[in-house]
Amino acid sequence: MLPPLPSRGTRVSRRTFLAAAGGALAAFGLAGCAPGGTRPTITFHQSKPEAVPYFRDLAAKFTASQDRVRVLHDMATNLSASFVRSSPPDLGCLNYNLEMARFMERGALSDLSDLPAAASIRNDVLDLTNWYPTYPGRTSVIPYSVMAASVIYNRRIFEQNGLAVPTTWDGLIEVCEVLKAAGITPIYGTFRDPWTIAQGLFDYTVGGMVNVREFYKTMHGIGEDVGPDSEVSFQKTMLEPVQRMVQLTSYVNPDASSRGYGDGNTAMAQGQAAMYFQGPWAFGEIEKAGTDVDLGTFPLPMTSNPADLKVRVNIDLSLWVPEAGNAQEGARAFLQYLMQPEIQNSYNAEFLGFGTGKDAPAVTDPRIVEMQKYYDEGRFYMGASQFIPNSIPAANYLQSIIGGADAESTLRRMDADWARLAFRA
Amino acid sequence: MSSAPSTIPGGSAAAGKKQRIRAGRERSNWPATIVLIVCTLSVLVPLYVTTSMAFKTTGQAVDGNAFSLPSPLTFDSFVQAWTLTNFPRGFAISVFVSVTAVAGEIIVSALAAYAIVRNWDRRLFRWSFFYLLAAMFIPFPVVALPQIQLTGLAGLDNPLGVAILHIVFALAFNTMLFTAFLRSIPLELEESMRIDGAGTWQVFWKLIFPLLAPMSATVGIFAFIASWNDFMMPSLIISDPELQTIPVLQKIFQTQFSNSYNVAFASYLMAMAPAIVVYLFTQRWVMSGLTQGAVK
Repeated sequence: MLPPLPSRGTRVSRRTFLAAAGGALAAFGLAGCAPGGTRPTITFHQSKPEAVPYFRDLAAKFTASQDRVRVLHDMATNLSASFVRSSPPDLGCLNYNLEMARFMERGALSDLSDLPAAASIRNDVLDLTNWYPTYPGRTSVIPYSVMAASVIYNRRIFEQNGLAVPTTWDGLIEVCEVLKAAGITPIYGTFRDPWTIAQGLFDYTVGGMVNVREFYKTMHGIGEDVGPDSEVSFQKTMLEPVQRMVQLTSYVNPDASSRGYGDGNTAMAQGQAAMYFQGPWAFGEIEKAGTDVDLGTFPLPMTSNPADLKVRVNIDLSLWVPEAGNAQEGARAFLQYLMQPEIQNSYNAEFLGFGTGKDAPAVTDPRIVEMQKYYDEGRFYMGASQFIPNSIPAANYLQSIIGGADAESTLRRMDADWARLAFRA
Repeated sequence: MSSAPSTIPGGSAAAGKKQRIRAGRERSNWPATIVLIVCTLSVLVPLYVTTSMAFKTTGQAVDGNAFSLPSPLTFDSFVQAWTLTNFPRGFAISVFVSVTAVAGEIIVSALAAYAIVRNWDRRLFRWSFFYLLAAMFIPFPVVALPQIQLTGLAGLDNPLGVAILHIVFALAFNTMLFTAFLRSIPLELEESMRIDGAGTWQVFWKLIFPLLAPMSATVGIFAFIASWNDFMMPSLIISDPELQTIPVLQKIFQTQFSNSYNVAFASYLMAMAPAIVVYLFTQRWVMSGLTQGAVK
């Protein structure tokens, strides 16, 4: 026999060390997922960043208040992936939009109509979910918080220039002219971020002139035949609002095309412009600068009749329980807990939302209080940009229109995209 | 001309060229220096902004002056980032994924490369190499959905699954690096060891694997950077939010509607720290590793 090779050296012990370290870490990681007791865990998906501490706190309170389930606050899981894996969160609390509606349309969300909470919602608010594709016979989604958006304006600048909130299109142009003559930027544009154009200028101008719901209903009905000769189309119905939108861009700051959302919030906080086409989500950001700017909101007037004024709304948070969830009982219990008026109302008060309940209190925050009237009277629409599937880059098209592209031919392209999508479906 | 004169002009054309090269060693190469300074700034300026932002209050962070120094200095952002992402747990998960991916990628790819190179004359091994190489053309996003379902079915929708996927997806590139390097190791070395009675397993662990160390360092560095910074794979694969990695947890700091620059940058700094520490300790190998595959 040949002499044996030298015994294992330091290299092997390093390997052993690595293996041991890996094992220890694995054990540590797995220990993290051990449940805090025997009760089942329900995953509560909520990813609105500013509200994370708030809901985390509520989840902890609910977990402590009973001993049947534990609520795990989830802000990190990819929603689509979890549905693909058939392990969706047990309770979702998310923005309701076209993407979310796809889950509803395919029956992935369970029926909640038997819950008392469903009956307490204002009918016209509950109806907002029907603007999107629905699953017949089900109340799949319970709106939790509605955000109303309209033009944000600087009260002090308006006062100093003797201006009142405009209620007609001509009045709006006059306000802009007066401000321009006084050397003040009338509107702060943040055109570097395409979505700010879509959700602001585009949605407000279209919503003020066009019946958004009817428009998309007809558009879906026409489908692949959308074109220059169809009953409605982007190039026909949207042309006038878009032209007015372009007209408004002559009153924006000269550097608007290189300014983003964050710059806009800073500028508004510093009182650099009189008006800003953003929703109330911007208030939280403007507030961060800590200035004493006095802001209010008014619906963008697009006609010569003040009775046509409407505000843009969206379902900022909605609650739903997936069919595939295996802890529906617990999820429903937590849903009921969240829907208690005192909890829902205090959420809305803190995050500038409008209540969805039939007897929700009026908002009191001075920045959004002017929109309460429109909300109460049901004078609202959902943003037109929110009904265009993501496969049509509408925001980018609008950005190019503002950048100088021909409005008519760009809208024609949107029609062609729409027809192509409908043909494929 | 054997020694360089103190004055540059004079001499034949050839000699003049020679002198210029020599003199160039002493003089600064200004164009190159300027280019390098610009390159350095492109790293240092963002790093400066990151660091100063992390110590700012929220009000200062949004006042539009990214380059101003923080005053007053505050550590609140670090505290917030720490609690909001549950930093220690996320950090431990990230470390677990990275360590497993690094160790796994080095060992599995080295084994594969060794088997392939030493059996190159057999068709099965040759074709398996091409098969592995073909995998380089399939990026993760293309197969993301089936992977989500498969990992879910196999019970691998957790950090371990992410580490395994990292190993598998990097297998093609790493095996290529290792095979290229292995070909330069003479077979005679191995034969001498076999004459002493070593089996294949012993040859690999005692001879080949240690000789592969420079390439292992390269592979390990790539593996660490890729797995530590990865966002997409853990966000899609890991189903338990409590077992999520740091980059995914950090996404809450920046959304379409809100920015928390100070908290975000504090969190990024904390997440960057290990990468910087690893680099400080391994820069010798990083440097040599970068040229490993480039120069024959």
